[in-house]
Amino acid sequence: MVRYPAVLLVLLCAGCASVTPPQPQVAAIQPAAPKPVATKPGDRAVPAATPEPVASQPVTSQPVASQPVASQPAASQPAATPAATSAPQAARGAVKPSPVKPVPQPVLKGAAPIAPAGAASRVAAAAPALDLDALKARLRATKAIGVFTKISLKNKVDDLMKQFTEHYQGKKPPLAELRLSYDLLMMKVLSLLQDSDQTLASEVVSSREAIWALLADEKKFFALQG
Amino acid sequence: MKRRIRRIVVLTQLLFALALFAAPLFAADDETLKKDLTAVIALQGLPCGEVVNVIVQAESDFAVTCKDANKYRVYLNDAGRVVVDKQK
Repeated sequence: MVRYPAVLLVLLCAGCASVTPPQPQVAAIQPAAPKPVATKPGDRAVPAATPEPVASQPVTSQPVASQPVASQPAASQPAATPAATSAPQAARGAVKPSPVKPVPQPVLKGAAPIAPAGAASRVAAAAPALDLDALKARLRATKAIGVFTKISLKNKVDDLMKQFTEHYQGKKPPLAELRLSYDLLMMKVLSLLQDSDQTLASEVVSSREAIWALLADEKKFFALQG
Repeated sequence: MKRRIRRIVVLTQLLFALALFAAPLFAADDETLKKDLTAVIALQGLPCGEVVNVIVQAESDFAVTCKDANKYRVYLNDAGRVVVDKQK
């Protein structure tokens, strides 16, 4: 007879053990929004500033630090190494290196005054290849973001794209304002991803400037739309 | 006769165990939904803190109660947009 209460207790314990403790809610841990790109003449200058906003995100770049960091400095120092001009071609098809905060910023700051146009184009070439479709697919597949949140985010992306269209048609919202909206949206996505899917979060961070380069260039934007 | 009783006992125990294990599974689903809805409300910039109660009104239509006593209706409209309406 003693057996039944014992079995009952064991089952009860087993049932309770499988309950996952409530995970801490993702809050707005990130500090201030990254600096808007200072130089905005076209798409060349934008990738030159690629690592800058990343550097201003200590939280999201933490997982990035655990990524293959060694590959990044090499890719983001094209101004210093002449071999980097040909290297991007090979690197393009390879794994996307994620821009890591500590190294690129000083390099780019130093590189800009030396050879502005050449360095910018080389940095643009060295920027990680953007696989937008793959990124979209991964965002769709991730379990870090709930279904409704994904739909809500998609709504926000659509709204932003609409604003960009308006900007290019009637110049209604200035590009700086769009950049702010873009940064905020990115931070929302990152805050949702950073705890549960750090790999994807770091990929989003590394693609951030490349995506902005697409949006900020009218031709590329409409090509993206079409 | 004894064997039959034993079978019934084993079956009852199994059912009991299943019920015990199923409850946490449903609870986990519920927590996922709450987390999702919390994120949706936060994305709209509305105060909530944390969703503590969800009532499913229809498919993709939820009545949500937040920790700070705010109540919202979160639903997917015909245009495919997630709408968060504040309720009294």
